[in-house]
Amino acid sequence: MRKLTLAAALLGFGLMSGTALAGSAWTGGDDQATNPLACDATPAAAAAKDYDGGSPTGAPDRAGKPIKVVDVPKLIGIGYFNATTKGILDAAKELGNVDAKTDGPTKANIDEQITFIDNYITSGVDGILFAANDPVAIAPVLKKALYKGINVVGYDANSTPDARQWFVNQAQFNGIGKALIDDMAKEIGEEGSFAIVTSTFTTPNQARWIAEMSAYAAACHPKMKWLETVEAQEDNNLSFNQATTLINKYGDELKGIFGMTSVATPASAEAVTQAGKCGKIAVVGLATPNAMKPYVAKDCVKSVVLWNPVDLGYAAMMVLRAVADGTLKPGATSVKAGKLGDLQVINGSEILLGAPYTFTKDNIGQFDF
Amino acid sequence: MSNAATTVPIGRTPFRRFLGGYGQEIVVLLSIAALFAVVGAVNQRFLSDNNINAIFAGNAYIAIAAIGMSMVIVSGHIDVSVGSLIGVIATMAGTLAVSGYPVWIAWVAPILFAIAVNAGVGALIAYTRIPSIVVTLGMLSILKGGLISVTAGAWITNLPAEFMIAQMRPFGIPSAVWFMVGLTVIAALFMRYTDFGRAIYAVGGNIEAARAAGLNPERTVVGVFALHGFFAGIAGILFATQLQVIQSTVPPNLELTVITASVIGGVSILGGTGTVIGSTLAAILFACIGSALIFLNVSAYWLRAVLGLMILATVLADMARRRRAR
Repeated sequence: MRKLTLAAALLGFGLMSGTALAGSAWTGGDDQATNPLACDATPAAAAAKDYDGGSPTGAPDRAGKPIKVVDVPKLIGIGYFNATTKGILDAAKELGNVDAKTDGPTKANIDEQITFIDNYITSGVDGILFAANDPVAIAPVLKKALYKGINVVGYDANSTPDARQWFVNQAQFNGIGKALIDDMAKEIGEEGSFAIVTSTFTTPNQARWIAEMSAYAAACHPKMKWLETVEAQEDNNLSFNQATTLINKYGDELKGIFGMTSVATPASAEAVTQAGKCGKIAVVGLATPNAMKPYVAKDCVKSVVLWNPVDLGYAAMMVLRAVADGTLKPGATSVKAGKLGDLQVINGSEILLGAPYTFTKDNIGQFDF
Repeated sequence: MSNAATTVPIGRTPFRRFLGGYGQEIVVLLSIAALFAVVGAVNQRFLSDNNINAIFAGNAYIAIAAIGMSMVIVSGHIDVSVGSLIGVIATMAGTLAVSGYPVWIAWVAPILFAIAVNAGVGALIAYTRIPSIVVTLGMLSILKGGLISVTAGAWITNLPAEFMIAQMRPFGIPSAVWFMVGLTVIAALFMRYTDFGRAIYAVGGNIEAARAAGLNPERTVVGVFALHGFFAGIAGILFATQLQVIQSTVPPNLELTVITASVIGGVSILGGTGTVIGSTLAAILFACIGSALIFLNVSAYWLRAVLGLMILATVLADMARRRRAR
C-alpha cells in the first residue's frame, strides 16, 4: 500500500518532468510588451503623456526665495535613507537658498509617517519630500499639503500621482535590463552562457526585468546564451542551494549568474565562492552594497547594479527647488538637476534619475546600506 | 496503540521485524537511492562530489530542526513556531558576532535562549492544557513580529570569518553534515535506549497509561520542548553561518518544511511512533528532489506539489497500518 502510493507519486513526478522540458524564450519573464533601449547610451524617446500630478492651491511666489523643506522617508536610521538624506543636504548646500532636514519614523510604518507629515504641515514648511510607505494611504495627507500651498515631490516610492506634483523615478525596467546585460557581456564575453536566479516566475518586478533583459540581449548581444532561470523565492538559503545546483549541473559551460533580487545576488556570489569558482563564474545582479562588499573585495563580483541613493536624494531636492521656482511646470520634458544635468520627464509626472548605477570595487566603499 | 518503532510483533522473522520497525525510513532511503540512480543516469554531474555535498549540506539545518520536531510530535504535540525561532536565533547570533562578542558566545547564547523559550512554551502546554498548536501559533506571531520590530528590516552584514561555522569543512565534508549525522545518531540512540527517550513514546502513545505507569507526562513534555529548543538553536546557528548575510525575515514556510520532514520520515502526526532517522532522511530527500528538479529542468514549484503528494501518501499509509494493527 505504502510502496504503491509512493510509486504513484514518483511516477507523477516523472511525468511532470517530461512536460516541462520544452520552451525557448527566457523563463521567468512576463508576456507584456518590451521596450529595449538602444545598444549605445541613447536615452529612449519619451512617450507623450499628459501631466497627471497634482498642483498646490494658492502657493506663494517662491522663485529664488529661501524655502524650508522637510524630507519624510519611509523610515530613518538605515543606510539607504541616510544616503538619500546626504544627497538632499548636498543639493540644499549647493543651492544655498534651501533649509532642508530629514525627519521621520524609525520603523517603516505608514501611520507614523502620516503623523510626521501632518505635523510639518501644521508647523509650516514650503516643501515636502517623501518616500511613501503606502501609495494610497499616504495620499490624503499629501493632498492636504498641496491644499495648503506646499510643494510636494516624491522619490524612491511613489504615491498616487494626483497626491504629489512630481516623482523622481530611480530606475526603469528597460534601463535595469540593459545595465545587467551590458555588465554581464563585459565580464563573460559576447558568446558566454549564463543562468538566472530569480524570486518567482510571477513576481511582477523580476518578471518585467527578465523580459526586458531578454529583449535587449536579443537586439544587442545576440550570441549570449541563456541556459535557464531558477526560482528561489526571497529565501537566502534556497537561493544559495539553487545557485550551487546550477554550478554543479552545467560545470564549465556556466560562465555567469544573474541575481534578480537583493537576496539572490549575494547568495549566488556565496555559492560561487564556496564552489571555488571565483573568476570563472561571474555574478551580476541587483543588490545592496553592504551585502556584496565581501565578494567585491575578493574580486569575486565585479558589478552590482542598483541606483545611487545619494543621486536620488540630490535629484529630488533639485526637482523640488525647480517646482518652487516655477521652472518645472506641467508639460515640461526635462528638468535641470545641478551636477546630474538634464533629467528626462517620463510617464506624465515622473522624472527619471537616469541610467542605473553600477557599484564596483572602486566606489562600493562609499555606500553604507 | 502499537508502537511501531519499539514493540515487537510476535511470530515474525527478525528481518520482517526490522522492516516493520523502520518501514517508512526504508521507503525514504529507497526513494533517495532511486533519485540518485535516475537523475545520475540523465546527467552524470548529479553524482559529482560537489553536488552530493551540496545535497547533504543544503538541508542539514532543516534535518536538525526536524530532530526536535520529531520528538515533539512523538510526544503528541506540535510546534508551528520553529521557523520564527530559527530566524530569531540567527539574528541574535549575528548581532552578537558583529558587536564584538567572542564567537563562542555568539554561538552558545542564542541556543540557551532557544532552550529557555521552548521550555517555557512546553510548560505552558503541559500545565495549562492549552493545545500546543494554539500556544505555538501565538509564539509564532510573537517571535516574527518581535523580530521585525527590533531589526526594523535591516540585514546583518560584515560577519566575522571565524563566526561562519557552517562554512567550515573538517576532513573535506561541510560541518553542517557532521552536525546532522552526529546529532541524528545521538538523538536516535537517546530516544531508543534512555528512560527519558522511552517516556516520550509512552506519553505520546497514551498519556493516561503513561501516568498510570508512574511517568510524569508534564515534566516529559517540558523536557521534550527544551530539547526541541536545543536542536532548533543549533539549526539556527547553522542557518546563520551558511551565508555572509542574515536577513531579518524568516524563510517562508520553514516550520512547514520541518514538520513535513518529520511526517514524511514516518513520525505519526497522532503521536507515539516514529524515529529521528526518518526525519533526517526525509530532509535529505527534499534537498535531493530540489536538486533533481533543476537537473531535470522542472520548475521548483513542483517541489511543493511533490511534497504535498508525499505527505498524503505517508499519512494514508500510516492510517492503513494502524487499521491493520488493530
